[in-house]
Amino acid sequence: MKYDTLVIGAGIAGLQAALDLAEQGRQVVLVEKNPSIGGRMISLSKVYPTLDCASCITTPRMASVAHHPNITTLTYTEVKQVIAQPDGTYHAHISKKPRFIEEDKCIGCKRCEEVCPVYIRDDFEHNLGAKKAISIPFTNAIPQFPVLTPDQCTWCGACANACPVDCIDYLQEPRDIFVEVGAVLVATGFELTPFNAKPQYGGGVLPNVITSLQGERLLAPHGPFGRVLRPSDGKVPDSIAFVQCAGSRDASLGVPYCSRVCCMYAIKQAMLLSGSLPTADITIYYMDIRAFGKGYEAFYQNAKAMGINFVKAKVGRIRAGEDGNVFLRIERQEESSQPEEMNHDLVILSLGMKPQWNPKTLAWDMETDLDGFVKSPDAPMDPATTTCAGVYACGTATGPKDIVDTIIEAGNAAMVVGNHLARGNA
Amino acid sequence: MSNLEPNEPHVGVYICHCGGNISDVIDVKRVATELGLHPNVVISREFPFMCSDAGQKLVIEDIRSGKINRVVIAACSPMLHELTFRKTLQRAALNPFLYEHVNIREQASWVHKGDHEGATQKAIRLARAGVEKILLQDELEEIQAKATKHVLVIGGGPAGLKAALNMAARNLRVTLVEKSSRLGGHLHELDTLYPSGESASALLAKLLAQVNESPLITVVVGTTVTAWDGFVGNFTATLSSGATVNAGAVIMATGYDHVIPAGGEYNYGGDPRVTTLPKLIEHLKTSAGKPLVWNGVPVKSVAFIHCVGSRQTEGVHAPQADGKVNDYCSRVCCTAALHSINVLKARQPDLDIYDLYRDIRTYGRGHEAIYEQASKNGVLFFRFTEDAQPEIREHTVVVKDILTWGEEVEIPADLVVLVTGIKQGAVGELIDMMKLPVSSDRFLQEAHPKLRPVEVANNGFFLAGNCQAPMDLVESSAAAGAAASKIAALLSKDYIPLDPYVARIDSEKCTGCEACIPECSYTGALFMNEGTKKAEVNAALCKGCGACVAVCAPRALDLAGWSIAQMEAMVDAMVTEVPA
Ligand SMILES: Cc1cc2nc3c(=O)[nH]c(=O)nc-3n(C[C@H](O)[C@H](O)[C@H](O)COP(=O)(O)OP(=O)(O)OC[C@H]3O[C@@H](n4cnc5c(N)ncnc54)[C@H](O)[C@@H]3O)c2cc1C
Ligand SMILES: Cc1cc2nc3c(=O)[nH]c(=O)nc-3n(C[C@H](O)[C@H](O)[C@H](O)COP(=O)(O)OP(=O)(O)OC[C@H]3O[C@@H](n4cnc5c(N)ncnc54)[C@H](O)[C@@H]3O)c2cc1C
Ligand code: SF4
Ligand code: SF4
Ligand code: SF4
Repeated sequence: MKYDTLVIGAGIAGLQAALDLAEQGRQVVLVEKNPSIGGRMISLSKVYPTLDCASCITTPRMASVAHHPNITTLTYTEVKQVIAQPDGTYHAHISKKPRFIEEDKCIGCKRCEEVCPVYIRDDFEHNLGAKKAISIPFTNAIPQFPVLTPDQCTWCGACANACPVDCIDYLQEPRDIFVEVGAVLVATGFELTPFNAKPQYGGGVLPNVITSLQGERLLAPHGPFGRVLRPSDGKVPDSIAFVQCAGSRDASLGVPYCSRVCCMYAIKQAMLLSGSLPTADITIYYMDIRAFGKGYEAFYQNAKAMGINFVKAKVGRIRAGEDGNVFLRIERQEESSQPEEMNHDLVILSLGMKPQWNPKTLAWDMETDLDGFVKSPDAPMDPATTTCAGVYACGTATGPKDIVDTIIEAGNAAMVVGNHLARGNA
Repeated sequence: MSNLEPNEPHVGVYICHCGGNISDVIDVKRVATELGLHPNVVISREFPFMCSDAGQKLVIEDIRSGKINRVVIAACSPMLHELTFRKTLQRAALNPFLYEHVNIREQASWVHKGDHEGATQKAIRLARAGVEKILLQDELEEIQAKATKHVLVIGGGPAGLKAALNMAARNLRVTLVEKSSRLGGHLHELDTLYPSGESASALLAKLLAQVNESPLITVVVGTTVTAWDGFVGNFTATLSSGATVNAGAVIMATGYDHVIPAGGEYNYGGDPRVTTLPKLIEHLKTSAGKPLVWNGVPVKSVAFIHCVGSRQTEGVHAPQADGKVNDYCSRVCCTAALHSINVLKARQPDLDIYDLYRDIRTYGRGHEAIYEQASKNGVLFFRFTEDAQPEIREHTVVVKDILTWGEEVEIPADLVVLVTGIKQGAVGELIDMMKLPVSSDRFLQEAHPKLRPVEVANNGFFLAGNCQAPMDLVESSAAAGAAASKIAALLSKDYIPLDPYVARIDSEKCTGCEACIPECSYTGALFMNEGTKKAEVNAALCKGCGACVAVCAPRALDLAGWSIAQMEAMVDAMVTEVPA
């Protein structure tokens, strides 16, 4: 099949760029490796600085993409190979993973999910909840198709019996798709810096030390518990701490850069926590508060006025306390320098951003920068270009950034991709 | 079988479960059954996800089979899916406006979680009102405004230049209006740029060459816009030269002004050894490589004070001209200051530099390395809080440093550099003329702070660069490209489609009393036809607010798609009892 553009990754960056291109009359094929489009944004609670519900503002974008006549969306699909052609176009080999259902027949009725007897960890909830071995990934997933997880399925046949349209196919194989495109846009996004990068913080070991994305799910309107509680024992926490720069601004972790979003998302989570647990003590341990965007400083000042404690301190180590509590050894950088040990019920590590995908896994000459993100050789004036002609990048694939900055970059990328295509036709 | 005549409205009603969001609270089967009793409703179904492809297919099949010719879907908010379902009707070759979206999620199931019976009854009432409304709906057509394929860019700084180049690359003609005598904006003032270290002059020269080469870009310098008229697709700008420009869309790229420290703040203006960062950068630019000499005196020690004119608090800082303080962060100044510090240190390694800050905000790609480098260069950092500002003395600066637990430190300084922020430029006249929305920080306001950062609520206006918020060059270029992208889509067709929900007038009934005219807030939307002496509506300019309808005594005015008759029918439906 021929398209004008291949967009890799259907987070908010890929969605916005695909929409802009489609509105300009371009044919787009959008490839997403997860079963649903939406990226990280669809899993967030509410988003700063306006605190709109993330799923309420992401779902309409997802729906517009899914129904746009100029966009072909391929979910649960991975790009295997992108090969530059002598005429400047690209051929891509894409592989569609088996969901073990026939997508053209499935009506999304969830019968299969209801009867499945096997519970597995729910990756959408960052393991804070469980789902069935065959299930629709989350409530507002697009498309609304269930996915069967073969490693954990016992092949009991219950779902096949229950399916009213007889579309379960236990023998489904990956399917190859080949596309020819005029340009490629990389929007492969970010993942959190590793939870256990700093062993002294107990990430992944101490049960009441959680990641910030888990924090997002705890606070989400349709989160795993429907309210805020300590995942280890269900206790409603009275005292919650955020540790800033937990995976960033530290050359020894290989992440010397600032991750740009974690100050603001911690402030946001603190505000949401104080909304749902009005009597809880909430403390943010930080080095600098980087509230640099439009309306962000006011957001930070509001949080202070709400009674959230901002403590400029380095957190040395985190260890288990009594009854599941967590002790933080801190060294204040203001007032006194005496090391102190602070007791909290729940600790959220404000982890940073690293690239989700390394383009080097494909045989092309697209370079990454020292920070591991896609290199933008023509920044400042052309932030979307890469070292590869006809290949562009935007969003968190080119470095940490929040939603608004991602959306701006996606719009710009759509413009320059369109310009590239227009040059080709001239 | 229904007893309806074929030309009568045949309504299909669909109740969405929203995957439990609705059906966990509302008895959707009962709602569907109840609605099915309406004489005009020929199909009434419930379904897990109406927005899914399967749900939409259901509607399409019911329309195609000729059973229904109007659709009511009771589901989530119309903000989410009204457009989705309009497109569904279009795919089934039915007029997309013969569709009514009823919100039984935000307005019923989510807000009445504990009251299943009440929520179900409410859903029935709301859905019935939807049916009554669609029964009285006309086959509306979207309004088509002419699309002039010419774009006006106001402001010739880096953002404006980049926006113009992008649109010219798409074969759109551009007029670039610059107030000053030359293109380039603040790029003229800068020396080497963070984070790459490249030369601002070289970068500007490259941009200007590209603009000069483009036959599609007309540049007018020393010019401003003095009068404004028209609407999306067809604006007319009058320039100070007297010329007029006809444009389909406009990009605001008017940039920023430096904040000038107010009323002797930090002795600025009084003490010649106190300067600002932009002035220091200008000096660096003209003194290539040489050690720092200020007012003829060689400088041995410099103190930088951050956040001057930014992050201000009421009660601590003197207010700006409009009585408000600048409570926002200017975003570029931390990195710009540290970059200049590194430039100074490279020229003059023995220069003592003290940096007095509140938070160091080197957030961007490559910025933290600049901070690192400054630390390695031996710069001494001191942190102050907003309520304990540093104080300028004879040859020193005194700061209460919280990094050393609130100790008062006296720093020697031959030169004090105030790291001043950015503020909205002098665009008050444009704002008034174009009725542009302004944020509380005085920058131009975007349509949505997350999702639509380069669009303005007013149709046809777009934002690029620092007129919207402080940003550096990478960010300004991206914003310029994003704004251009929206325009490329807007002007890709010969016309611009607009929603048909606007006022319409029955000239038979209009008595020419003119009561409606002063009610309308949108210039040109409602006017008296001098010949007929009756009121007339310009559909492309009307926003459908209904203010005029409310005052029209003979009821000559009405809103298409939201008529008085429709409202009355809806109210009647809502107050009709629902059987328990
Ligand atoms: C805890 C936390 C809270 C946050 N809160 C906020 C907030 O309140 N406000 C705000 O503005 N920002 C917030 N952010 C930032 C926000 O999440 C990001 O700015 C945004 O999600 C970036 O979107 P993206 O599309 O660039 O990346 P992603 O959302 O990561 O999307 C990338 C997509 O690409 C897909 N993909 C990756 N590799 C491949 C491949 N090889 N083939 C196919 N597909 C691939 C992924 O599956 C994913 O769907 C927060 C971030 C975190 C970590
Ligand atoms: C001290 C300092 C140092 C900086 N250093 C760097 C750096 O090293 N690297 C970096 O990336 N960024 C830096 N920046 C940011 C950079 O200056 C801006 O991002 C850049 O100038 C882009 O601005 P712009 O085009 O939005 O606005 P501007 O540069 O302000 O241009 C706006 C243009 O619009 C014109 N205009 C205004 N009003 C009207 C009107 N009514 N009609 C017509 N024309 C009008 C103006 O005359 C001007 O030419 C720095 C900023 C500051 C304050
Ligand atoms: S039971 Fe069948 S039709 Fe229903 S969701 Fe499962 S696979 Fe799809
Ligand atoms: S945004 Fe804040 S928490 Fe995140 S790395 Fe930067 S300074 Fe640290
Ligand atoms: S960027 Fe730095 S100096 Fe500028 S206002 Fe923000 S915190 Fe202050």
